[in-house]
Amino acid sequence: MEKYYRTEEVETIALNKLSMEVKEGEFVAIMGPSGCGKSTLLNILGMLDDPDAGSYLFNGTEVANVGERKRADLRKHNIGFVFQSFNLIDELTVYENVELPLIYTGVASSDRVKRVEEVLEKMQIMHRRNHYPQQLSGGQQQRVAIARAVVNKPKLILADEPTGNLDSSNGNEVMELLTDLNEQGTTIIMVTHSEHDARYSHRIIRLLDGQTVMENIMI
Amino acid sequence: MFRNYLKTAIRSLAKNKSFTLINVLGLALGLTACLLIVLYVIDELSYDRYNDKASRIYRVNEDLKLGGNRMQYAVCMPPLAKALTTDFPEVEDAVRIKNAGSMHVKKGTENIMEKSVAFADPSLFNVFTLPMINGNASNALAEPNSIVMTESAAIKYFNSTNVVGKPIIIDDKGGYKVTGVIKDIPQTSHFNFDFFISMSSFPDSRSDRWLRSDYNTYVLLKPGADPKRFEAKFPGLLRKYSSSQMQNELHISLDQFEKGGSFFKLNLIPLTDIHLKSSMIGELGANSTTEYIYIFSAIGLFILIIACVNFMNLSTARSANRAKEVGVRKVLGSSRGRLILQFLSESILITFAAVVIALTAALFLLPQFNQLSGKQIGFNSHTLIWLAPVSLFIIAVVGLLAGTYPAFFLSAFEPVHVLKGKLRTGLKGGGLRSFLVVLQFCISVFLIIGTLVVYNQLRYIQNRDLGYDRNQVLVIKNTYELNKQAATFKQQIKQLPGVIDATLSGFTPTSSGRRTSIFNKEASLTDQSKSIFPQSWYVDEDYIPTMGMKLKAGRNFSLQMGTDSTGLIINETAAKFLGFKDPIGKNLYQFDDPKFKKVVTYQIVGVIKDFNFSSLRQNISPVIFQLRQDAGLLSVRVKTKDIPALISQIKTMWHSLTPADFDYTFMDEEFAASYHKEQQTGTIFLIFTSLAIIIACLGLFGLAAYAAEQRTKEIGIRKVLGADVSTIVAMLSKDFIKLVFIAIVIAGPLAWFAMQKWLQGFAYRQAIPWWVVAVAGGGALVIAFMTISFQSVKAALTNPVESLKSE
Repeated sequence: MEKYYRTEEVETIALNKLSMEVKEGEFVAIMGPSGCGKSTLLNILGMLDDPDAGSYLFNGTEVANVGERKRADLRKHNIGFVFQSFNLIDELTVYENVELPLIYTGVASSDRVKRVEEVLEKMQIMHRRNHYPQQLSGGQQQRVAIARAVVNKPKLILADEPTGNLDSSNGNEVMELLTDLNEQGTTIIMVTHSEHDARYSHRIIRLLDGQTVMENIMI
Repeated sequence: MFRNYLKTAIRSLAKNKSFTLINVLGLALGLTACLLIVLYVIDELSYDRYNDKASRIYRVNEDLKLGGNRMQYAVCMPPLAKALTTDFPEVEDAVRIKNAGSMHVKKGTENIMEKSVAFADPSLFNVFTLPMINGNASNALAEPNSIVMTESAAIKYFNSTNVVGKPIIIDDKGGYKVTGVIKDIPQTSHFNFDFFISMSSFPDSRSDRWLRSDYNTYVLLKPGADPKRFEAKFPGLLRKYSSSQMQNELHISLDQFEKGGSFFKLNLIPLTDIHLKSSMIGELGANSTTEYIYIFSAIGLFILIIACVNFMNLSTARSANRAKEVGVRKVLGSSRGRLILQFLSESILITFAAVVIALTAALFLLPQFNQLSGKQIGFNSHTLIWLAPVSLFIIAVVGLLAGTYPAFFLSAFEPVHVLKGKLRTGLKGGGLRSFLVVLQFCISVFLIIGTLVVYNQLRYIQNRDLGYDRNQVLVIKNTYELNKQAATFKQQIKQLPGVIDATLSGFTPTSSGRRTSIFNKEASLTDQSKSIFPQSWYVDEDYIPTMGMKLKAGRNFSLQMGTDSTGLIINETAAKFLGFKDPIGKNLYQFDDPKFKKVVTYQIVGVIKDFNFSSLRQNISPVIFQLRQDAGLLSVRVKTKDIPALISQIKTMWHSLTPADFDYTFMDEEFAASYHKEQQTGTIFLIFTSLAIIIACLGLFGLAAYAAEQRTKEIGIRKVLGADVSTIVAMLSKDFIKLVFIAIVIAGPLAWFAMQKWLQGFAYRQAIPWWVVAVAGGGALVIAFMTISFQSVKAALTNPVESLKSE
């Protein structure tokens, strides 16, 4: 894949003929210095952005340059997102935030209650279901964000520095959660600066200037 | 899904309290003003529509041109109604109404003066919808001395509405009998009487003269009849009935009359047009004009636009705060359509809240608004019938109109960018927002200029030298009650300390009654091009000094001059119409009585300077004074500090001569009353203009707050680098002030041209002074600067440590 950012005078190469494959059930960490193209790659993998050249096969289907509607549909059924800054909607409670993806995928109301409660229990955040994001600690907010990411049972979770805003204890908890999810069959691709977090993955892909420079298989 | 939108919307609004307050209150304020204007306009448009047969009822008007004067009358000839019903098969019925002026109605031993009395034909209740509570509508006005009264009048005089058959004494004459009680006439009627006396009680109504006009005549056409085709038959009707009378009375044929450039025609006006489109001689009440409808509708629309613009601007300005939410929703699978729907729901929710507040506010403000506008508008079942769908319509239209742009704008955010915090464009890229601010202030500046011009013109009217002195003149009415003692009464009053002068006359420059008659420059009276059709007032020798009028040539009337009984004093305009360079000593001729065919020769003895006696919207017309002592008004010029005591003295003298009511007014009050409508309109204009400016400023206040919030970090950095408060305030204010300035440049000339056109409706007007545009522009700039400064200064005073921490 190739991706460029252009201004009137400057063209920056974000992804330079980058090629990679992630198998179902894998836990992959992507690392590299700032500006190496990690986030660009994650956005393209999450179908939030299109590559300028190349191909992106998701589950065997070409998704590069498909329409916004199709991408939104693929995204909501198959991908969950976890962000460094949590990105919870401040106006919605914990329960309502987690319920949102189910509403968008048209899950019936009675099913939604069951599934949201199930995932909140699993994330040990049930007791905070009626609180608003601003009333939670960072670790709790990220657990809500993970709950929201997994409530639709996505095949793939994309995590963008999920512990970046957390202390080490909360960070470890989040990484344990992601590992559990991966062990239950969910594919995880995580962008991180932390060698410690990367060690939870099966494989580390290191990027520099938009290219893969090294791959480490974790034993 | 909708519940989710609603929840998010309500919580988002609750979270941003100041924004919500500005937005909801601004919109509510705009809608309240708009609603009151709509109520006013609907009330104005609803006149006479209470009549079931309104669409088939027309009033017959007379259009007369004589000797260069053109007069339009709301009254017609006495025998016209009968001729219409007998000669035209398309006429179902016709009715005459004649204002009876004031009459004394006896209640116990007390004589109460009633001013809402009319004579009417029996067909009144067939043509108009005046529901009878008691009595038989088909014959209630058939017999002489029959009286039909309104419910209120019946209760006032009998404490009951069950009064059919009871006697009633009018003007101290018995023999009248109540034959019916009708419901009170709706306020939205162009006539409003409490008493209808049968026309057969009024001998003059049997007159067969076609060359006089004093009966308001209404015709009810049969269903399907074409009023235009009916109107086309009027010339033939006039020829048939008036030719012989013209020959007998004016000694000319109708053809000769028309050949001299004169004409008299009849035309129809639909009943429902009378209130807004008729301002003729002989109207049964004061009417309004469509001009006010247009002005108020425009103001209402302007206010609504300003309120909607606020909503759009504030919503898009705070878009940065909603960007994250949009991004998350998109990432989680929301389509753009769903987001648009969400933001439109939010907008409709705000509009709904604003409409509820506006309806409540309008309900509470209605009594004050009624007082201000002189109306009796109320919320009733009829109002609800149109108000409910109109409210829903407003919610839908304003909600969509105000919410569409923010909805499309917000939903277009790219999640990749907003989630990375790259979108801080709340106040950037605001080309449309700048345009909308300019639009708001264009409207505001336009309204300020409009208000200033209206007030300037009203002040001009109030202070203009009218050619007479209306101050300190007491006018005693109905002096005909004194019969021959009127002259004695006048002399007695002139002896009182505090009285400078007094005069008996038929008319004053401010009285509502008028009289016209024909004079000719030639004794033969046959050449109508030599005729003049002036105001012809009976006055005495004290009229000119008492009124403070000025003679331009000749002399005043004098009782010492025996020939003054046929002397005339004319105004400058009459002299111009007659083409006399030196009018003194010139003769004018008039038939003394058509039946005797005697021509009376009058001689002009004086010329007075022109004076305004009708609205300053109209040019001064010719006036001729004739010397008579038998008039109905006694005007007294006074100079005393204790006016109540003087009035009390005069009242005692009055009652020593007559038991009739002592009724008086002051000339300056009468003058003010004649411009009451203009004053009222000016005040309403001022209030709504102020509202429009307040709403526009609310919007600007909100925008300035967001501008300051968006630039918090920049302000912090600038302060760290040494910028002082004034530099920061200037930086934050500059962009908005520039927009207001552009608005002034656009709106100034537009308003100037529009108000110039409005002023053309006044024959006497003051040119728009340069300072009006300057004051409006300067005012808008100052108000805008003060609004923005409040936020700018607040932002500039914030500790830079706090500003930088917030980032």
